[in-house]
Amino acid sequence: MVSADVVLRTRGLVKRFGALTAVDHLDLEVKRGEVVGLLGPNGAGKSTTIGMILGLVRPTAGTAEVMGRDVWHDRENALAGSGAIVETPAFYPYLSGRDNLTALALIRGGGAHARIDPLLERVGLTARARSKYRTYSLGMKQRLGIASTLLSDPPLVILDEPANGLDPAGQREIRELVRELAKEEHGVLLASHLLYEVEQICDRVLVINKGKLIASGTIAEVTAGAGTIEIAVTDPARAAAALRGLPGITDIEETEHGLKLTAEPARGADANRALAAAGIYASAIVPHKSSLEDVFLDITDEGGAGAPPAP
Amino acid sequence: MLPLLRSELFRLRRRWMPWAILLLVIALTVALYFLLYGTTQAQIAALQNGTASGGPQQTESQLRQQLLQLRPAAMMQFGLGIVGGVGAVVLIVLTASVFGSEFNWGTLRVILALGAGRERFLGAKYIAIALYALVLTAFGAIAAFASSEIVGRLASLDASLPENFGLRAAEAVATTTFTFLPYIALAAFIAVWAKSGSAGIAIGLIAYFAEGIVMSLLVAFNKDLAPIADFGLSRNATALNSLYDLPADTPGAGAQGAPLPDATHAAIVLLAYTVLFVGLALWRFRGRDVTSG
Repeated sequence: MVSADVVLRTRGLVKRFGALTAVDHLDLEVKRGEVVGLLGPNGAGKSTTIGMILGLVRPTAGTAEVMGRDVWHDRENALAGSGAIVETPAFYPYLSGRDNLTALALIRGGGAHARIDPLLERVGLTARARSKYRTYSLGMKQRLGIASTLLSDPPLVILDEPANGLDPAGQREIRELVRELAKEEHGVLLASHLLYEVEQICDRVLVINKGKLIASGTIAEVTAGAGTIEIAVTDPARAAAALRGLPGITDIEETEHGLKLTAEPARGADANRALAAAGIYASAIVPHKSSLEDVFLDITDEGGAGAPPAP
Repeated sequence: MLPLLRSELFRLRRRWMPWAILLLVIALTVALYFLLYGTTQAQIAALQNGTASGGPQQTESQLRQQLLQLRPAAMMQFGLGIVGGVGAVVLIVLTASVFGSEFNWGTLRVILALGAGRERFLGAKYIAIALYALVLTAFGAIAAFASSEIVGRLASLDASLPENFGLRAAEAVATTTFTFLPYIALAAFIAVWAKSGSAGIAIGLIAYFAEGIVMSLLVAFNKDLAPIADFGLSRNATALNSLYDLPADTPGAGAQGAPLPDATHAAIVLLAYTVLFVGLALWRFRGRDVTSG
């Protein structure tokens, strides 16, 4: 039974290209009103996953459902509930931006045609709506791509690198737009390399590497327990010996001014206590909470060592 | 299918290529009428003035006979002959471009991601191109008829039309369009298979010209080989287009060469090729992953 709130669900999604497993038993869900970040290094399987969700790539095993309808077996009804930019925006270069949306609206039917002008206004393309697509900058192409995903006001919006090619102001506009979409009860699946962007707008993230889901949860959950503590001491070797074996400290590195511990920032107090017990007094203890980028780089490293477990 | 077809026709109307092709076919048809009229008249004048250059000469009677194919009644033979010859070539180019550019521009994945079924996506394209082929042939026929009226008056040719001329002209337009279908299907199949418009154009044109030449040579070398050639495309297309030739005893009617296949055989063979090429394209496209471009 599919919850009414779930707009996208995959179960055991697998894609093999010969001996290569591009996506390996991937389960994911996107609900109405949430923005879910799909993260992974190049070749992790993000585009293949999106391709399977949109019926462009035939899954080797597993299912993808949009609004409870199987994408491969009930394609038309399932994808009526989605709008997507796949990889880069692609449109007919000989048509204007407006005509491109018209061509897609003719396929979408319903009230799609009536939404063209408001959407062009929303993405800031009204002034260039009659210019040929081939004359558009990359940023304008991205905006047109986003407008095209909203033609039928679908419950699920899939955006693959939507801020690619945009200047900082444009990136901010896209972030605001994505948050607005969530407020309007769209479920958004956002694939992006801009981890700062993801950190700001996503409610949850899914990190995949080599086709497998290696971490998932809210940003706080994924980054929890990850961080460093810098300790300034005059005798780093003695201090390191005092801290070795302390719970929660996974690595100790001697630096020019003292030590750098790999540990949850909250472990600073424990470290301070242990040093004092050994008669060592730190002149400074500076905790650093890891950003999503730090965690991403760490867990997508070879083998995904240190990855927070996927629930 | 209807929404896809409407979108396909909308995009086709907005492209420059279909309009350029239409103008080309009309211009070429008109130009050939006036070129043949001008050169024939010049030859007749030269013969009458005794200023004809050396070499084998046609007699004035032969030249006047040649002019007869420019009269309105012979429009289906001469005019549609031009449209049929040029049409297949330009339709191969247009079809391969329309199918192949979806892969080149990446727009294929945008349309499919809207939920369009793959068979319907291709089906809408086939129908759109076939409708365009019909329009192209009809306009070519109109241009040929208008040219024949003008040239006929200039040359004082017989302007009378056979009974049911309009109906037979419409049939001839439909038949000529039908002979384009296997070439459209061939170009589309190659463009889909190779995911490239250029491949569709190149291989489609090579196949069109090479098949025509090989089949002609086959029959020319040995008429016993005609049954083999009768299962090719070119002779069957010619057979159907020849249905509207003037009777052989009518002045201006073309001389018959090696006997062509009968109309039923020709229609079945052309239809079989069309179905084969469309089927292969659908089969290849149905299971193909569309991950990029």
